[in-house]
Amino acid sequence: MPIARSPKIAGALALALAVVAGCGSGDAEQAPAAEAQTRVFTADNGDITIPVAPKRVVATGYAVPAMLEADAPLVGISTWQRGIPLMSDEDRKRYEELPKIAGETAAETNYEAVAQADPDLIVIGVPKPVLADIDLKRLEQIAPVVAIGPSVPSMWRELSRKQADAAGSLAAFDAVRDEYQAKAKKLAEKYAAVLPGLKLGHVGAYGEVAKGNFQREFNGSWGTNVVQDMGATYYGEVKVKGGGSKDVSEYPSIEELPAAFADAEVITYSVKPDGSVPPPVQYALDSPLWKELPAVKAGKVFPLRYTEAATYRSAMRTLDAADEALTPLLNR
Amino acid sequence: MTRPRRGPGALVVGLLVALAVLAGVAVLSIGVGAHAVAPADVVRALLDFDGSSDHLVVRDIRVPRAVLALGAGAALAVAGVLVQVLSRNPLAEPGVLGVTAGAGFAITVGSAVGLASSSLGELLVAVLGAVAATLLVYSVGRGSPLRLVLTGVALSSVLAGVSLGMRLLMPNVFDVYRFWAVGSLAGREQSPNGLPLAVIAVAVVCALLLSRHLDVVALGESTAHGLGANVARVRLAALALITVLAGAATAIAGPILFVGLMVPHLARRLAGASVPWMVAFAAVLGPVLLLVSDIGARVLLPTGEVPVAVVTAFLGGPVLIWAVRRYGAAPL
Repeated sequence: MPIARSPKIAGALALALAVVAGCGSGDAEQAPAAEAQTRVFTADNGDITIPVAPKRVVATGYAVPAMLEADAPLVGISTWQRGIPLMSDEDRKRYEELPKIAGETAAETNYEAVAQADPDLIVIGVPKPVLADIDLKRLEQIAPVVAIGPSVPSMWRELSRKQADAAGSLAAFDAVRDEYQAKAKKLAEKYAAVLPGLKLGHVGAYGEVAKGNFQREFNGSWGTNVVQDMGATYYGEVKVKGGGSKDVSEYPSIEELPAAFADAEVITYSVKPDGSVPPPVQYALDSPLWKELPAVKAGKVFPLRYTEAATYRSAMRTLDAADEALTPLLNR
Repeated sequence: MTRPRRGPGALVVGLLVALAVLAGVAVLSIGVGAHAVAPADVVRALLDFDGSSDHLVVRDIRVPRAVLALGAGAALAVAGVLVQVLSRNPLAEPGVLGVTAGAGFAITVGSAVGLASSSLGELLVAVLGAVAATLLVYSVGRGSPLRLVLTGVALSSVLAGVSLGMRLLMPNVFDVYRFWAVGSLAGREQSPNGLPLAVIAVAVVCALLLSRHLDVVALGESTAHGLGANVARVRLAALALITVLAGAATAIAGPILFVGLMVPHLARRLAGASVPWMVAFAAVLGPVLLLVSDIGARVLLPTGEVPVAVVTAFLGGPVLIWAVRRYGAAPL
């Protein structure tokens, strides 16, 4: 009977209200309410509702170095071998300590390990075409998923900021970005009398450089975009835009080497972090056609290290390496 | 299935026509490429070399590449004839005896331990792998042609599985292997190919000399014994030649499928039942097929080149279907 039960129900309600009111009275107890706050974030996979201040973030792919640099509250990451030589000691220590929830490729995602990490946000940093290799629906059952992958290589500036924004770590990110921009500005001033007036060409080693071909990189590519911040211009453009990095780099036959760099006054080429030359670049350097290039005959050929930088802190290493490599230009 | 023997006059005329086609295709392959060189400059590059970029393209890139196609094409095609006659199987190609899988496995292991980092290292490792695999196949399957093929297929599967496992575990090994695994004539001009090409030339001559004895063995084991042939010795010599030819071709150009399958069928149509003439036609038609495929590989894409193995595979698919429909239910 409702009337007969009402005193008990009223008592229970009163107790519950008292507990709730008590919880709301102290600062420490306000956290759950703050955590519950959400916002809508626009990512490659649509408009996603994510926590305003995520506490447990899982990151994969290009998001890994960006999240490490932004001091995001990471609880799991994919492996990111190619970025290790570019990491600071602190980031590298943290990278090694964090649980690995995926391998180098998107297809190597360990969904059980992701669930075990118990994230409140998952940031996927892989290119759009590769998203098909990931079971997004399965990940969305664990936590909100935002996919923010690279397109044109030089876009790492905007994308890494977006990744840091999703993880609620913009302040730390912007501090590193400002440091980079100040360094780049200083170098641009140092080379102001030299670089802006030159036509540069770049031989890269990124992606699938098949035998008999070489990679030529233009403005906005991996090997060129950081040096551009120093005032360099890599002239020309691809014959056919292939989307993504193929909008700013191409893989011509070695026969086209003379035509590709006929107007280049300076040629730069990618080397590994230890300074060794990758096989696809070595192939171009060993070609008899290379020795006939005007820039080579003029001795204006320079190796560039750390050309795969995709974060501000790692790009500062690229700036230092480029400064070291291009110094001879100042003495001519 | 037996084919009628053709008269010597028709065979000689047929071979001369094939040689004329080969000469024409070889000239075309020196004249066509990603970089346009005027026909007069092509001739001057061969007769009056002046060191210009155009002349370097012709002399140092296209000519070595054409020579490579001549050697690899002849080796694969002749090895294909020998393996089909030896195994009495029209669908056999050099790879069924484990040569390609052995070379691939050796490249995988060699990459893992750092032995395949240079062109010379890659070449030596591939040859060693091919020889070791064939010796193993022969030691197990020497009892009969069928057992030989079954052993080769089984060993190929095992080696392919182990190689795949290693490549999955070691991304750096995968990087080396994936470029080797798609056979290509491009980018090989800097490799020391002189010795393998000389070995191929000697092996083709030996195959021509052996083919008369194979002609007898092809009549059947008992008939061959009755005619005084040493079947075991002929088989061993044929197997050694298959290993040398296919191993050398695979080492200098990577795995190129279908040449060793397609060309023997074409040669059989032209030569009738004569093994010596089949070998002679294969030695000419193999290079024709590879040169034509290589010219296609150079001009198919607006930028860069397609590996020649992709073109031969594209051509080989329909031929394989034809061969299965033609010979599937009948013995050779």
